[in-house]
Amino acid sequence: MKNVVIAGYCRSPFTPAQKGQLAKVRPDDLVAQVIKGLIHDTGVNPGDIEDLILGCAFPEGEQGMNLARLIVHLAELPMTIAGTTINRFCGSSMQAIHNAAGAIQMNAGEVFICAGVESMSRVPMGGFNYLPNPGLYKAYPQAYIGMGETAENLALQYHIDRLAQETFAVASQQKAGAAQQNGLFATEIIPIKRADGETVQYDGCIRADSTLQALAELPPAFLKNGSVTAGTSSPLTDGAAAVLVCSEKYADLHGLEKLARIRAIAVSGCAPEIMGIGPVSATHKALKRAGLTLQNIDIVELNEAFAAQSLAVLKELPISLEKLNLDGGAIALGHPLGASGARITGKAASLLKRENKQFALATQCIGGGQGIATILEAI
Amino acid sequence: MDIKKVAVIGAGVMGAGIAAHIANAGIPVYLLDIVPTLRPGSGQSGVDNRNSIAESAIAKLLKAEPAAFMHKNYARLVTPGNIEDHLDWVGDVDWVIEAVLENPAIKQELYRKLDNICGPDTLISSNTSTLPLKLLARDMPDSFKQRFMITHFFNPPRYMRLLELVSGAATRPELVAAVSRFADTHLGKDSVICKDTPGFIGNRIGIYWLQCGLLEAIKLGLTVEQADAVMSAPFGIPKTGIFGLLDLVGLDLIPHILGGMKLALPKEDAFHQVNFLPELVQTMIADGYTGRKGKGGFYRLNETGGKRVKESINLQTGGYQPSEKFALPEVAKTQDELRVFLSGDDALCRFAWQVLSNTLVYSASLIPEIADDIVAVDTAMRLGYNWKFGPFELLDRIGVDWFVDRLLAKNRDVPPLLASRHRLYKIDSGKRSFVDLSGNYQTVRRTDGVLLLADIKLSAPAILENPSASLWDIGDGVACLEFHSKMNTLDMDSLTLVRQSVEKVKTDFSALVIHNDADNFSAGANLTLLVQAIHSQDWPAVGQLIKQGQQTYKALKYAPFPVVGAPSGLALGGGCEILLHCDAIQAHAELYIGLVEVGVGLVPGWGGCKEYLRRWLEFARRPGGPMPGIAQAFETIGMAKVSKSAAEAKEMLFLSTTDGITMNKDRLLADAKSKALRLVPGYMPPKSSSYQLPGASARAAMDVAINNLKMAGKITDYDVEISQQLADVLSGGQCDITEPLTEDGLLNLELNAFLHLVQQPGTLARLEHLLKTGKPLRN
Repeated sequence: MKNVVIAGYCRSPFTPAQKGQLAKVRPDDLVAQVIKGLIHDTGVNPGDIEDLILGCAFPEGEQGMNLARLIVHLAELPMTIAGTTINRFCGSSMQAIHNAAGAIQMNAGEVFICAGVESMSRVPMGGFNYLPNPGLYKAYPQAYIGMGETAENLALQYHIDRLAQETFAVASQQKAGAAQQNGLFATEIIPIKRADGETVQYDGCIRADSTLQALAELPPAFLKNGSVTAGTSSPLTDGAAAVLVCSEKYADLHGLEKLARIRAIAVSGCAPEIMGIGPVSATHKALKRAGLTLQNIDIVELNEAFAAQSLAVLKELPISLEKLNLDGGAIALGHPLGASGARITGKAASLLKRENKQFALATQCIGGGQGIATILEAI
Repeated sequence: MDIKKVAVIGAGVMGAGIAAHIANAGIPVYLLDIVPTLRPGSGQSGVDNRNSIAESAIAKLLKAEPAAFMHKNYARLVTPGNIEDHLDWVGDVDWVIEAVLENPAIKQELYRKLDNICGPDTLISSNTSTLPLKLLARDMPDSFKQRFMITHFFNPPRYMRLLELVSGAATRPELVAAVSRFADTHLGKDSVICKDTPGFIGNRIGIYWLQCGLLEAIKLGLTVEQADAVMSAPFGIPKTGIFGLLDLVGLDLIPHILGGMKLALPKEDAFHQVNFLPELVQTMIADGYTGRKGKGGFYRLNETGGKRVKESINLQTGGYQPSEKFALPEVAKTQDELRVFLSGDDALCRFAWQVLSNTLVYSASLIPEIADDIVAVDTAMRLGYNWKFGPFELLDRIGVDWFVDRLLAKNRDVPPLLASRHRLYKIDSGKRSFVDLSGNYQTVRRTDGVLLLADIKLSAPAILENPSASLWDIGDGVACLEFHSKMNTLDMDSLTLVRQSVEKVKTDFSALVIHNDADNFSAGANLTLLVQAIHSQDWPAVGQLIKQGQQTYKALKYAPFPVVGAPSGLALGGGCEILLHCDAIQAHAELYIGLVEVGVGLVPGWGGCKEYLRRWLEFARRPGGPMPGIAQAFETIGMAKVSKSAAEAKEMLFLSTTDGITMNKDRLLADAKSKALRLVPGYMPPKSSSYQLPGASARAAMDVAINNLKMAGKITDYDVEISQQLADVLSGGQCDITEPLTEDGLLNLELNAFLHLVQQPGTLARLEHLLKTGKPLRN
């Protein structure tokens, strides 16, 4: 079987929905700039690219019309590149990487752009025309359960109190703040030019100065007497991310910088009302396929949908905190649904290189009750 | 000359409020103040933000309650700056309003600079409330005197309709005219021309009245609650009375105002007899009890111990005690009742007589010293102090003859104006006229473009009339439908008159305007009738009430002539629904409109859901599909949202983009009439709408939202029940997206939801609680 590698990763700044610097940027314009940056930074020959696979959780409105194909034009790429938009909610752009990996091993292409985007300012969560199936809603209402409620369920089930969640959130903010301070995001962020001529180059969600005291003041966000607040949830965010996925042979032949090899992938389903636990089963499957155990993993990127959700996963997957989300997670950086998978996979790959480690895990929970995981190894 | 740009110098409460209101008119305005000074010894070499005073004033305006801006976006029209760096900005404005410290030297220094920078046709005015124009213009160059006047706004500038104007002998008349016109059409103010005398009109009489009230209440041993109850409702004065108003003004200002008046008024002026600040008030000021903006005043909310207790000062001891609810046994309304009240023997009656008679005599003695005629004085007191009647209108209510007799009986002087014992106003061949100093009657003149229903009512009888509503001929083939029940609530009589009006206008007129000149257009349907029907479980009668309303409003919508709604103030529930059925709306800028039925456990049933939903479905601002519109209507009706201005009503789609907004309430009827006349040529009634709605799927979407709100503790159990009924209507009930629903289909859904809800105890509890307490119940 052919080896598949990640040969480039970049992203836009992540900024808060509605009030952030990217609120007025169309999602297609946003991700097109990130992809242009990826092409430029990796030096890949665009003519060799087979397909542009784009993850997006609410592909309608400005994110509609098979956005991936339209971005081929917006990013001024050759007409010969195909484009497909795929949806696995928060796992969409990690799924894009999985699709590319599968295609490469099937000999169905050598180089792929795997990207993701979400403008949560411009296309609301739930889409413009949220129309659940009344029969299913009646028979199985948890199929449509709100995300905040799933986090509350995990907090109850795993006895995760509010202080533990807030401690986790503050740590995420501090890690992200330190990384920003030390310029660690500069290599991955593609500055975004807005229509008004301004350039956006810094993340906007991070609150490095957040404290336990301040977080303790916030009211519950989803349940009247709940423990989950806005401070322990990932914020609504605008952003895009992209990775270059190719066969190892192609990378070697064309002198592309290899960040990591994709060792194993997996998806799995779980009960919708505890969707946040999804990473556990997906990770177990992926580890098994990789022939590894959790002890072998040096770097973990776990998407922080909620602090309660992340802590529940950590109770099932004992991962030491030094390995976890080194530059902060989604609670601090933000979670533009369709873009997060590409961000954490690309991030895990670059961290393997930066930290000089051997194995990395990137994993996410997914609304509706799913998990997705990718195991990477250093080259 | 048109005023297209304005500068306000001085970002205090008044200056900032004036700037905000100019922005409300859509006019760009600079707001300048001084560069803040550093605290001595702070060690800093300069301030970081030289505009911080004006900038924080704007930030404060955005949080002001009641709101200073009619829409938060208007704040963008106010550009903050400082007078050291930005005074040259006034070079391109048409009007500069000075609202700085009441210090002539500071003002004149500023005027000299302004005079040099401003263009030749720029008017400069002062918002001074105490300094005479002749003092401010003294020793100033002619170039300044020709462009200078006083424009005195009342606080808060957005809401108080009075603008006092004082011009000098040298002031160019065309500049005065331009400001007066702008204040009228753009700021919605009524300008009153005042003489250059201390306190002008409003405060000259108002301060005298307040001082009389304060001193008499102490002298007669009244409580503040008693004094305020007497000196309010019986005379059409706001319920703040004397002490509530003093708290609002701020006690700390009173010594300054009295001091200024004392210096400026001639020795023989009656003011000096009441110019005395009781020790109690002096102590209160010294201790920081300066009123609402201080620690409290004559009234305060004591929040110690976690409870909010309303307390009042004991005027004799100076200590606070829990407020007593005091209501007069009967509020005098008729002339006889007023006379009985004013001639009574107890302390309350003596208080009423002393304060009122002093104030009325004082007012009568000030013509022509402060104004040329009584109309100016009445207008000033109505619009500047929110009195329902000015002092001379009050005199007519009491009866001049009776009043003079009583003065004579008490050995009091009778002012010359009253000596002839003439009525002060009378109706002469359908027109209102007032008495002048020589005892002749002159017609009360209205500004061009002002059309008042009150004037029309004097000139001819109503065309149709019943206890709740009337139809009037307002000329040029236009009829005006007026509601006039209590709070203009709508009952069977109102609906009957709407139907009769439709028939009448069909044959005798070419257009209809729906308008009244009360404070509030309509507070909604009359709930008393509904509660009676619920108690007798007469569900067919409730159904009939709903169907009648639906059919009546529908008849209005499809009538073969244009219908223009012209609301001001509250337009709630059924009052909002009738407006939603009009072809167009011309709204007063102060419009508080909303479908608030859920507050009493109901859903809009007279076509309000149908028409409001239609507005959102036809509004294509974001990518399409049925849910965004349904969700917006669900949120607005479900949360009983009410606009805080006409500008907000536009954003909420109660008004459409083509509906008009009139700043001056006195121009509303005329503007609505001309809007109606513009719609007459080739008028075609609207085509009936059809609704493509997703039915059960949309209902499920709203159920998810309701469930989430419930879990988050944001809505109550009974809110859930009402919201589900509302969701049923707005989703289209059982319909499918492929089969459009007719208007009647939606009206049926409204009817069913309404009939379901009226039979629930939760709805009855809400209705009865509102009728009993005036406040909504959240069960």
